[in-house]
Amino acid sequence: MINMIKGTLQVAGFMLLSLGMDRMAKWLDWGIPGSILGIVVVFILLETKILRLEWIELGANWLLAELLLFFIPAAVGIMKYFPMLEADGLQILFVVVFSTIIVMVSSGLTAGFISSRKERKTP
Amino acid sequence: MNILLNVILGLMLTIGIYAGAKRLYRRLPKVYLSPLLITPVLIVIILTQTGVSYETYNGGAQWISKLLGPATIAFAVPLYKNFRTLKKHAAEIMLSVLTGSVLAMLSSAYLAKWMHLNSSLATSLVPRSITTPIAMNVSEVIGGVPNMTAVFVIMTGILGSMIGPAVMRIFRIRGDIARGVLFGTSAHGTGTSKAFEFSSLSGTISSISMIVAALFTLGTAPLIMALFY
Repeated sequence: MINMIKGTLQVAGFMLLSLGMDRMAKWLDWGIPGSILGIVVVFILLETKILRLEWIELGANWLLAELLLFFIPAAVGIMKYFPMLEADGLQILFVVVFSTIIVMVSSGLTAGFISSRKERKTP
Repeated sequence: MNILLNVILGLMLTIGIYAGAKRLYRRLPKVYLSPLLITPVLIVIILTQTGVSYETYNGGAQWISKLLGPATIAFAVPLYKNFRTLKKHAAEIMLSVLTGSVLAMLSSAYLAKWMHLNSSLATSLVPRSITTPIAMNVSEVIGGVPNMTAVFVIMTGILGSMIGPAVMRIFRIRGDIARGVLFGTSAHGTGTSKAFEFSSLSGTISSISMIVAALFTLGTAPLIMALFY
Protein backbone atom coordinates (compact mmCIF):
# COMPACT_ATOMS: atom_id res chain seq x y z
CA MET A 1 0.00 0.00 0.00
CA ILE A 2 2.79 2.41 0.96
CA ASN A 3 4.61 1.39 -2.23
CA MET A 4 1.53 2.16 -4.29
CA ILE A 5 1.24 5.66 -2.88
CA LYS A 6 4.97 6.20 -3.32
CA GLY A 7 4.87 4.94 -6.92
CA THR A 8 1.87 7.12 -7.79
CA LEU A 9 3.51 10.21 -6.32
CA GLN A 10 6.71 9.49 -8.25
CA VAL A 11 4.78 9.07 -11.51
CA ALA A 12 3.07 12.41 -10.79
CA GLY A 13 6.54 13.89 -10.31
CA PHE A 14 7.63 12.59 -13.71
CA MET A 15 4.49 14.11 -15.26
CA LEU A 16 5.22 17.53 -13.74
CA LEU A 17 8.82 17.32 -14.87
CA SER A 18 7.69 16.38 -18.38
CA LEU A 19 5.42 19.45 -18.55
CA GLY A 20 8.25 21.67 -17.34
CA MET A 21 10.72 20.21 -19.83
CA ASP A 22 8.28 20.72 -22.73
CA ARG A 23 8.07 24.38 -21.75
CA MET A 24 11.83 24.66 -21.50
CA ALA A 25 12.26 22.98 -24.91
CA LYS A 26 9.91 25.51 -26.47
CA TRP A 27 11.71 28.37 -24.78
CA LEU A 28 15.21 27.16 -25.78
CA ASP A 29 14.01 26.49 -29.35
CA TRP A 30 16.91 24.13 -30.18
CA GLY A 31 14.65 21.65 -31.96
CA ILE A 32 15.23 19.11 -29.19
CA PRO A 33 12.02 17.68 -27.67
CA GLY A 34 11.31 18.12 -23.95
CA SER A 35 11.49 14.39 -23.24
CA ILE A 36 15.11 14.18 -24.43
CA LEU A 37 16.01 17.28 -22.38
CA GLY A 38 14.29 15.57 -19.43
CA ILE A 39 16.48 12.45 -19.74
CA VAL A 40 19.60 14.62 -19.71
CA VAL A 41 18.43 16.72 -16.73
CA VAL A 42 17.38 13.71 -14.60
CA PHE A 43 20.61 11.88 -15.48
CA ILE A 44 22.75 14.85 -14.42
CA LEU A 45 20.75 15.27 -11.18
CA LEU A 46 21.30 11.57 -10.39
CA GLU A 47 25.02 11.68 -11.22
CA THR A 48 25.57 14.76 -9.03
CA LYS A 49 23.58 13.05 -6.20
CA ILE A 50 21.15 15.98 -6.00
CA LEU A 51 18.40 13.49 -6.84
CA ARG A 52 18.46 10.13 -5.05
CA LEU A 53 17.68 6.98 -7.01
CA GLU A 54 15.20 5.72 -4.40
CA TRP A 55 13.10 8.89 -4.80
CA ILE A 56 12.21 8.07 -8.40
CA GLU A 57 13.05 4.41 -9.06
CA LEU A 58 9.64 2.91 -8.30
CA GLY A 59 7.75 5.37 -10.51
CA ALA A 60 10.30 5.02 -13.32
CA ASN A 61 10.06 1.22 -13.25
CA TRP A 62 6.29 1.39 -13.45
CA LEU A 63 6.33 3.84 -16.38
CA LEU A 64 8.84 1.69 -18.28
CA ALA A 65 6.97 -1.55 -17.57
CA GLU A 66 3.74 -0.13 -19.04
CA LEU A 67 5.43 1.69 -21.94
CA LEU A 68 3.44 -0.22 -24.57
CA LEU A 69 0.13 1.05 -23.15
CA PHE A 70 1.10 4.65 -23.90
CA PHE A 71 1.55 3.88 -27.63
CA ILE A 72 -1.90 2.34 -28.05
CA PRO A 73 -4.05 5.45 -28.71
CA ALA A 74 -1.57 6.52 -31.43
CA ALA A 75 -1.65 3.01 -32.93
CA VAL A 76 -5.48 3.13 -33.03
CA GLY A 77 -5.02 6.37 -35.02
CA ILE A 78 -4.16 4.16 -37.99
CA MET A 79 -7.92 3.92 -38.62
CA LYS A 80 -7.88 7.52 -39.90
CA TYR A 81 -5.64 6.35 -42.74
CA PHE A 82 -7.58 3.31 -43.92
CA PRO A 83 -8.29 4.78 -47.41
CA MET A 84 -4.57 5.47 -47.94
CA LEU A 85 -3.63 2.05 -46.63
CA GLU A 86 -6.15 0.38 -48.92
CA ALA A 87 -4.44 1.95 -51.92
CA ASP A 88 -0.76 1.70 -50.91
CA GLY A 89 -0.84 -0.56 -47.85
CA LEU A 90 1.07 -3.51 -49.28
CA GLN A 91 3.81 -1.32 -50.73
CA ILE A 92 4.15 0.54 -47.41
CA LEU A 93 4.28 -2.75 -45.51
CA PHE A 94 7.02 -3.94 -47.88
CA VAL A 95 9.09 -0.78 -47.33
CA VAL A 96 8.70 -0.92 -43.54
CA VAL A 97 9.52 -4.64 -43.22
CA PHE A 98 12.53 -4.69 -45.57
CA SER A 99 14.00 -1.42 -44.38
CA THR A 100 13.62 -2.61 -40.77
CA ILE A 101 15.44 -5.86 -41.59
CA ILE A 102 18.25 -3.84 -43.24
CA VAL A 103 18.57 -1.63 -40.13
CA MET A 104 18.53 -4.60 -37.75
CA VAL A 105 21.13 -6.61 -39.66
CA SER A 106 23.49 -3.67 -40.26
CA SER A 107 23.38 -2.30 -36.70
CA GLY A 108 23.33 -5.72 -35.00
CA LEU A 109 26.21 -7.17 -37.05
CA THR A 110 28.31 -3.99 -36.69
CA ALA A 111 27.91 -4.07 -32.90
CA GLY A 112 28.65 -7.81 -32.77
CA PHE A 113 31.73 -7.41 -34.99
CA ILE A 114 33.25 -4.58 -32.92
CA SER A 115 32.50 -6.40 -29.63
CA SER A 116 34.22 -9.58 -30.78
CA ARG A 117 37.31 -7.66 -31.99
CA LYS A 118 37.51 -5.81 -28.70
CA GLU A 119 37.36 -9.11 -26.77
CA ARG A 120 40.21 -10.54 -28.81
CA LYS A 121 42.39 -7.50 -28.09
CA THR A 122 41.78 -7.55 -24.34
CA PRO A 123 41.73 -11.18 -23.17
CA MET B 1 -22.72 13.59 -25.67
CA ASN B 2 -21.37 13.88 -22.20
CA ILE B 3 -17.66 14.66 -22.51
CA LEU B 4 -16.76 13.17 -19.14
CA LEU B 5 -18.42 9.89 -20.07
CA ASN B 6 -16.40 9.82 -23.32
CA VAL B 7 -13.19 10.31 -21.41
CA ILE B 8 -13.99 7.51 -18.98
CA LEU B 9 -15.05 5.13 -21.78
CA GLY B 10 -11.94 5.85 -23.86
CA LEU B 11 -9.68 5.27 -20.88
CA MET B 12 -11.48 2.15 -19.64
CA LEU B 13 -11.65 0.55 -23.08
CA THR B 14 -7.92 1.05 -23.67
CA ILE B 15 -6.68 0.07 -20.21
CA GLY B 16 -9.10 -2.87 -19.89
CA ILE B 17 -8.21 -4.46 -23.23
CA TYR B 18 -4.50 -3.79 -22.65
CA ALA B 19 -4.61 -5.47 -19.23
CA GLY B 20 -6.36 -8.50 -20.71
CA ALA B 21 -3.96 -8.69 -23.67
CA LYS B 22 -0.99 -8.48 -21.31
CA ARG B 23 -2.23 -11.41 -19.20
CA LEU B 24 -2.84 -13.46 -22.32
CA TYR B 25 0.67 -12.66 -23.61
CA ARG B 26 2.22 -13.70 -20.30
CA ARG B 27 0.59 -17.11 -20.65
CA LEU B 28 1.12 -17.46 -24.40
CA PRO B 29 4.11 -15.33 -25.48
CA LYS B 30 3.60 -15.55 -29.26
CA VAL B 31 4.61 -12.61 -31.50
CA TYR B 32 1.13 -12.29 -33.01
CA LEU B 33 -0.32 -12.01 -29.49
CA SER B 34 1.83 -8.98 -28.58
CA PRO B 35 -0.34 -6.48 -26.62
CA LEU B 36 0.78 -3.69 -28.95
CA LEU B 37 -0.78 -5.58 -31.87
CA ILE B 38 -3.83 -7.19 -30.25
CA THR B 39 -5.01 -4.14 -28.26
CA PRO B 40 -5.23 -1.61 -31.14
CA VAL B 41 -6.74 -4.23 -33.47
CA LEU B 42 -9.52 -5.02 -30.96
CA ILE B 43 -10.15 -1.32 -30.26
CA VAL B 44 -10.35 -0.51 -34.00
CA ILE B 45 -12.82 -3.37 -34.48
CA ILE B 46 -14.96 -2.17 -31.55
CA LEU B 47 -14.92 1.45 -32.77
CA THR B 48 -15.78 0.62 -36.38
CA GLN B 49 -18.52 -1.81 -35.31
CA THR B 50 -20.13 0.72 -32.96
CA GLY B 51 -19.57 3.65 -35.36
CA VAL B 52 -17.54 5.69 -32.86
CA SER B 53 -15.04 8.05 -34.54
CA TYR B 54 -11.33 8.12 -33.70
CA GLU B 55 -11.69 11.72 -32.50
CA THR B 56 -14.35 10.71 -29.95
CA TYR B 57 -12.24 7.79 -28.74
CA ASN B 58 -9.07 9.87 -28.57
CA GLY B 59 -10.85 12.54 -26.53
CA GLY B 60 -10.38 10.19 -23.59
CA ALA B 61 -7.50 8.05 -24.76
CA GLN B 62 -5.21 11.06 -25.37
CA TRP B 63 -4.66 11.16 -21.60
CA ILE B 64 -2.83 7.85 -21.94
CA SER B 65 -0.63 9.22 -24.75
CA LYS B 66 0.35 12.08 -22.44
CA LEU B 67 2.30 9.57 -20.32
CA LEU B 68 4.68 8.94 -23.23
CA GLY B 69 6.72 12.04 -22.30
CA PRO B 70 7.15 11.10 -18.60
CA ALA B 71 7.92 7.50 -19.62
CA THR B 72 10.66 8.67 -21.99
CA ILE B 73 12.20 10.73 -19.18
CA ALA B 74 12.10 7.60 -16.97
CA PHE B 75 14.76 6.06 -19.28
CA ALA B 76 17.21 8.24 -17.31
CA VAL B 77 16.99 5.68 -14.47
CA PRO B 78 18.29 2.57 -16.30
CA LEU B 79 20.73 4.91 -18.07
CA TYR B 80 22.15 5.99 -14.70
CA LYS B 81 22.21 2.46 -13.27
CA ASN B 82 24.07 1.01 -16.27
CA PHE B 83 26.30 3.94 -17.09
CA ARG B 84 29.57 2.09 -16.41
CA THR B 85 28.73 -0.71 -18.84
CA LEU B 86 27.59 1.83 -21.39
CA LYS B 87 30.84 3.77 -21.19
CA LYS B 88 32.75 0.54 -21.73
CA HIS B 89 30.79 -0.16 -24.93
CA ALA B 90 30.41 3.41 -26.17
CA ALA B 91 32.40 2.82 -29.39
CA GLU B 92 30.36 -0.12 -30.70
CA ILE B 93 27.06 1.46 -29.70
CA MET B 94 27.83 4.76 -31.45
CA LEU B 95 29.26 3.25 -34.64
CA SER B 96 26.52 0.68 -35.11
CA VAL B 97 23.68 3.10 -34.32
CA LEU B 98 25.06 5.60 -36.83
CA THR B 99 25.35 2.90 -39.51
CA GLY B 100 21.82 1.71 -38.80
CA SER B 101 20.32 5.20 -38.78
CA VAL B 102 21.82 6.22 -42.14
CA LEU B 103 20.63 2.96 -43.68
CA ALA B 104 17.18 3.42 -42.13
CA MET B 105 16.70 6.74 -43.89
CA LEU B 106 18.27 5.72 -47.22
CA SER B 107 16.57 2.32 -47.48
CA SER B 108 13.17 3.82 -46.62
CA ALA B 109 13.56 6.45 -49.33
CA TYR B 110 14.91 4.05 -51.98
CA LEU B 111 12.46 1.23 -51.30
CA ALA B 112 9.57 3.72 -51.36
CA LYS B 113 10.76 5.06 -54.71
CA TRP B 114 11.13 1.52 -56.03
CA MET B 115 7.54 0.77 -54.92
CA HIS B 116 6.37 3.91 -56.81
CA LEU B 117 4.98 5.52 -53.66
CA ASN B 118 4.39 9.25 -54.11
CA SER B 119 7.01 11.63 -52.74
CA SER B 120 5.01 12.85 -49.72
CA LEU B 121 4.53 9.21 -48.61
CA ALA B 122 8.20 8.45 -49.26
CA THR B 123 9.37 11.50 -47.29
CA SER B 124 7.02 10.64 -44.42
CA LEU B 125 8.55 7.15 -44.31
CA VAL B 126 12.14 8.40 -43.94
CA PRO B 127 12.19 9.07 -40.14
CA ARG B 128 10.00 6.02 -39.29
CA SER B 129 12.56 4.15 -37.20
CA ILE B 130 12.96 6.77 -34.44
CA THR B 131 10.78 7.71 -31.48
CA THR B 132 7.42 9.35 -32.36
CA PRO B 133 7.83 12.97 -31.15
CA ILE B 134 11.23 13.42 -32.83
CA ALA B 135 10.14 11.52 -35.94
CA MET B 136 7.22 13.94 -36.39
CA ASN B 137 9.63 16.82 -35.95
CA VAL B 138 12.01 15.45 -38.60
CA SER B 139 9.11 14.72 -40.95
CA GLU B 140 8.02 18.34 -40.83
CA VAL B 141 11.55 19.64 -41.46
CA ILE B 142 12.11 17.46 -44.56
CA GLY B 143 8.64 18.11 -46.00
CA GLY B 144 6.70 14.99 -44.97
CA VAL B 145 3.32 14.71 -43.25
CA PRO B 146 3.93 14.40 -39.47
CA ASN B 147 0.65 12.55 -38.81
CA MET B 148 1.41 9.94 -41.43
CA THR B 149 4.93 9.58 -40.02
CA ALA B 150 3.40 8.84 -36.59
CA VAL B 151 1.46 5.94 -38.14
CA PHE B 152 4.61 4.60 -39.86
CA VAL B 153 6.57 4.88 -36.60
CA ILE B 154 3.99 2.75 -34.80
CA MET B 155 3.92 0.24 -37.69
CA THR B 156 7.72 0.02 -37.52
CA GLY B 157 7.60 -0.53 -33.77
CA ILE B 158 5.06 -3.33 -33.94
CA LEU B 159 6.62 -5.07 -36.96
CA GLY B 160 10.14 -4.55 -35.60
CA SER B 161 9.41 -6.23 -32.28
CA MET B 162 7.71 -9.08 -34.17
CA ILE B 163 10.53 -9.78 -36.65
CA GLY B 164 13.48 -8.86 -34.39
CA PRO B 165 13.84 -12.29 -32.73
CA ALA B 166 13.77 -14.04 -36.14
CA VAL B 167 16.40 -11.65 -37.58
CA MET B 168 18.64 -12.33 -34.55
CA ARG B 169 18.33 -16.08 -35.13
CA ILE B 170 18.89 -16.07 -38.88
CA PHE B 171 21.86 -13.69 -38.80
CA ARG B 172 23.28 -15.14 -35.57
CA ILE B 173 23.25 -11.81 -33.75
CA ARG B 174 24.11 -12.63 -30.13
CA GLY B 175 25.03 -10.80 -26.96
CA ASP B 176 23.28 -8.11 -24.94
CA ILE B 177 25.05 -5.24 -26.72
CA ALA B 178 24.22 -6.29 -30.28
CA ARG B 179 20.62 -7.17 -29.36
CA GLY B 180 20.07 -3.86 -27.61
CA VAL B 181 21.53 -1.90 -30.51
CA LEU B 182 19.40 -3.87 -32.98
CA PHE B 183 16.11 -3.12 -31.20
CA GLY B 184 16.79 0.47 -30.21
CA THR B 185 18.06 1.54 -33.63
CA SER B 186 15.37 -0.20 -35.66
CA ALA B 187 12.24 0.00 -33.51
CA HIS B 188 12.58 2.86 -30.94
CA GLY B 189 10.59 2.56 -27.68
CA THR B 190 8.56 -0.45 -28.75
CA GLY B 191 11.71 -2.34 -29.65
CA THR B 192 13.23 -1.21 -26.36
CA SER B 193 10.45 -2.78 -24.34
CA LYS B 194 11.01 -5.97 -26.35
CA ALA B 195 14.74 -5.76 -25.60
CA PHE B 196 13.93 -5.56 -21.86
CA GLU B 197 12.33 -9.03 -22.29
CA PHE B 198 15.80 -10.42 -23.09
CA SER B 199 17.77 -8.72 -20.29
CA SER B 200 17.91 -5.42 -18.44
CA LEU B 201 21.28 -4.68 -20.07
CA SER B 202 19.83 -5.26 -23.56
CA GLY B 203 16.97 -2.93 -22.66
CA THR B 204 19.27 -0.19 -21.46
CA ILE B 205 21.55 -0.46 -24.50
CA SER B 206 18.39 -0.31 -26.58
CA SER B 207 17.17 2.86 -24.86
CA ILE B 208 20.56 4.52 -25.41
CA SER B 209 20.53 3.42 -29.05
CA MET B 210 17.04 4.85 -29.43
CA ILE B 211 18.15 8.23 -28.07
CA VAL B 212 21.35 8.34 -30.16
CA ALA B 213 19.43 7.29 -33.30
CA ALA B 214 16.80 9.99 -32.70
CA LEU B 215 19.34 12.77 -32.21
CA PHE B 216 21.49 11.63 -35.12
CA THR B 217 18.48 11.41 -37.46
CA LEU B 218 17.31 14.83 -36.31
CA GLY B 219 20.72 16.28 -37.22
CA THR B 220 21.35 14.51 -40.53
CA ALA B 221 17.94 13.90 -42.18
CA PRO B 222 18.01 17.13 -44.24
CA LEU B 223 21.49 16.22 -45.52
CA ILE B 224 20.44 12.66 -46.40
CA MET B 225 17.38 13.98 -48.22
CA ALA B 226 19.58 16.38 -50.20
CA LEU B 227 21.77 13.42 -51.20
CA PHE B 228 18.75 11.43 -52.25
CA TYR B 229 17.06 14.01 -54.47
